[in-house]
Amino acid sequence: MVKMKSRNELSRNISFIAMGFMVLFSIATLRAYFLQVLKSGELTELIQSQYRTSVELMPHRGTVYDRNGAELAASIEVESLYAHPGLIRDTRAAAKLLAPILDLPLHAVYRDLTSSKPFVWVQRKVTPTQAEQIRALKIEGLGFLKESQRFYPQKEIAAQVLGFVGVDSQGLEGIERQYDSIIKGKSRKLFADRDAKGRHVFVEGLQPSDQSRQGNDLLLSLDKNIQYIAEKELQAAVTLSQAKSGTAIVMDPWTGEVLASAVCPLFNPNQRSETDPDAWRNRAITDIYEPGSTFKTFSIASAIEEGTVKPTDMFFCENGAYHIASHVIHDHGSYGWLDVANIIKHSSNIGASKISRQLGKEQLYQYIRRFGFTAETGISLPAEQSGFMPSLKNCSEHTQGAISFGQSITVTPLQMVTAYSSIANGGMLMQPQIVKRIVDSTGAVVKQNTPVMKRRVISEKTAGIMRDMLKQVVAPGGTGTKAAVEGYVVAGKTGTSQKIDQGGYSHSKVMASFAGFVPADAPRLAIIVLVDEPQRMKFGGEIAAPAFSRMANAILNYLHVPPDAAPAQDPGLLKEIRTEPVKLAKLDEA
Amino acid sequence: MYNKSLTQSVILFVPVILVGLGIMMIYSASSIAAAERFHDGMYFLKKQALFGLCGIGCMLVMMRIPYGFFKRCAYPLWGASIGLLVLVLIPGIGVKVGGAVRWLHLGPLSFQPAELAKLSVVILLAYCLAKKENERLKDFSIGVLPHLLLVMPMCLLIVIQPDFGTCMMIVVLLFVMLFAAGIKKRFVLGLGSIGLVAAALLIAAKSYRMERLMTFLDPWKDSTGAGFQIVQSFLAFGSGGFFGAGIGRGTQKLLYLPEPHTDFILAVIGEEMGFIGVVFVIGLFVTIVACGIKIAMNSYDLFGTYLALGIIVLIGLQTVINMGVVMGLLPTKGIPLPFLSYGGTALLVDMSCMGILLSISEQCHFMGKA
Repeated sequence: MVKMKSRNELSRNISFIAMGFMVLFSIATLRAYFLQVLKSGELTELIQSQYRTSVELMPHRGTVYDRNGAELAASIEVESLYAHPGLIRDTRAAAKLLAPILDLPLHAVYRDLTSSKPFVWVQRKVTPTQAEQIRALKIEGLGFLKESQRFYPQKEIAAQVLGFVGVDSQGLEGIERQYDSIIKGKSRKLFADRDAKGRHVFVEGLQPSDQSRQGNDLLLSLDKNIQYIAEKELQAAVTLSQAKSGTAIVMDPWTGEVLASAVCPLFNPNQRSETDPDAWRNRAITDIYEPGSTFKTFSIASAIEEGTVKPTDMFFCENGAYHIASHVIHDHGSYGWLDVANIIKHSSNIGASKISRQLGKEQLYQYIRRFGFTAETGISLPAEQSGFMPSLKNCSEHTQGAISFGQSITVTPLQMVTAYSSIANGGMLMQPQIVKRIVDSTGAVVKQNTPVMKRRVISEKTAGIMRDMLKQVVAPGGTGTKAAVEGYVVAGKTGTSQKIDQGGYSHSKVMASFAGFVPADAPRLAIIVLVDEPQRMKFGGEIAAPAFSRMANAILNYLHVPPDAAPAQDPGLLKEIRTEPVKLAKLDEA
Repeated sequence: MYNKSLTQSVILFVPVILVGLGIMMIYSASSIAAAERFHDGMYFLKKQALFGLCGIGCMLVMMRIPYGFFKRCAYPLWGASIGLLVLVLIPGIGVKVGGAVRWLHLGPLSFQPAELAKLSVVILLAYCLAKKENERLKDFSIGVLPHLLLVMPMCLLIVIQPDFGTCMMIVVLLFVMLFAAGIKKRFVLGLGSIGLVAAALLIAAKSYRMERLMTFLDPWKDSTGAGFQIVQSFLAFGSGGFFGAGIGRGTQKLLYLPEPHTDFILAVIGEEMGFIGVVFVIGLFVTIVACGIKIAMNSYDLFGTYLALGIIVLIGLQTVINMGVVMGLLPTKGIPLPFLSYGGTALLVDMSCMGILLSISEQCHFMGKA
């Protein structure tokens, strides 16, 4: 009986254990249900994310053209070498074969080929010869993807305006940077999945990027040939005077379109790594300078516009030394009584400061701002400077005098040429523009920029008076006679400003400049030429004026502008202005 | 109700089905890795098929040996196991794989003494418990202490390898067997708490065990590091869904799921055969356990009862622990899934166990039928 009893107890315990097992197996089943039915979707999503790897491919970057459709910046297709490290059978041998072709250290290639990643770039943008040699090796696990490489077919031309791109085709400077989002297009992600053998394969294959993802093209206002002329003549002036650098801008005074924007020294963006980063800057907008005598045009125009001074008024020029409080203002020559035209013609600082005194500093400041100084022009280029002048309440009588002849105020070359354009076109301050059109890859116009008048600064009458005075500068006896162009009347002004050096004005470092327009009575071009720190021929009239002359001569010829005898205003240009919508919103801006 | 022929058919055929399924899934899980490592995609398939045949041979031999024979084997087998476990620890004889010495190499074959040790513990406990009257088992010095003294050295040798999982499994096996034998409740509780304290100490002693435990508690916290394995297992189960991706179409086994053909074979089944496949496998194990329990309850003598129970607890525990691990219910342990996971020693031992069960069932009395 004892045995029976123990047997029963044993049976009971075994049943208990059996039940325990059934409970455990039920839990396992429920767990499987939870993972495989309830959470299946969530986990499947997770799994896909880990199977997928992606490679970002840059699309074809848009082309930048000049106004006539010449390519300034283009993208060419080049091949980049990639590897699926897991697929390479003999990594060591492959690395030994590749390294000399790619001219890379063996260990670097070996490291790439042994990467645990499913996809690695071995070398971006290889040459066609390298690609051919590597293809001939027939190494499994290597492949090429087409990428686009930026190329500047005109080499140095307009390099500082265009800027350049980085290795991933991202715009780093200039137009390339400012318009990066517009011309770069949509990048394309290539997804790679694992095939049945665990290898990565590209899902959609590796076709070259489709059209819809391509970047937009830009049509600039620049003219390749005008740009070339400007650069050539500027370079010649800089070389001749042994200057540090130079800047020149050619603008259509009626539209504000920049036709050329040259900076010396030049650099070739195709070989950017071999050039001095100092040369990459677009000095036309990034560098400010004291304009010197070229600025007198605006202080005097303001006084005439306000009526505080009549062109026939005479001013005593103190025989070359004018005491204001504790300061002395000097002229280059010793002048007695001069009328306004002769003050400009002989570039009398004393005369200019006396004229501005009659205008009053509040009015002077207002006009300076209306001419567009001390504010960014809003041209669509990166890193534009605004320049500055002392605040009104800190402006002493002497400071006011200094401003009137272009000291104590800083401007950019672009502001200056835009302001001269307003004299040339009869008093309208135009919005400077560099991009005329944005066109998509199918050729449809995305955006068309039309000339925009920011405001009228002075009346046509005042502008006409100024134009006549500026003609005198270039006429015999003036400071800018060397700016004259045979067959055309030139209006302009020289400037020679001492640069600030170690706290004071330097006697040896100057900025020599000439700003003007031509033909004076039917202007087609407004041009500024700046020569920074010339070692010889240190006056604007000596170095910048001749450069202006040669530039203007070549450009007028190129544009087939008839020699003077042309009507007072070119009807073609006027028509363009009037038929295209002009934004008036900014007219009342102070 | 006990239906002898049905029970015997289940114990005979279900393991063979499982082994067949295992071979198929091992091939699916390992062919790529095998092709890379051994330049033979069928490497693991061939070996496991060979083991499977040997296993069936073992089963057929065992079922013809009257199980009473194992009474005589109890102590020698125990001794042999201890000896082999000592041998495996001697440097130069034991083979180190993944930081643990678990294998002995015999020519081209390798052998895992711990697998044999499990079976020897079952046989020894069955023999010792069956010898004693129920009333005497209530006495601590007779019912508990001798068994502890016999099993503990074995556990110690296994934990030194280190194979914490197998050690814990043997402890649980001992505990379940003593519970079945009817030792006093307070001994059960006392032993249970001592076991827990010992386990806690062992976990705290090794930082990687602690890490495993923390990982188990929240695998997603470090899903690319410590939690990687279990998270990948989750993903395999999840992506399989209800019907599975289809045999051979799983992707987790390719690179992400570590050792998919051994411990994580159920994850591969889960991915390729879906929830249906997993339920099918669980169902097969349930029938084996249920039939084993029937055999235990109907066996001719106490030794047969304990032996059958021990075997079924051994197989059942390994199954439940493995499933718990791959589905993230238990911390990661190196316990294979009986019949399915790749591994020769385990398969031979498991199939031998089935043979012994059949031998026991041969002498069952026919309750209900009579």
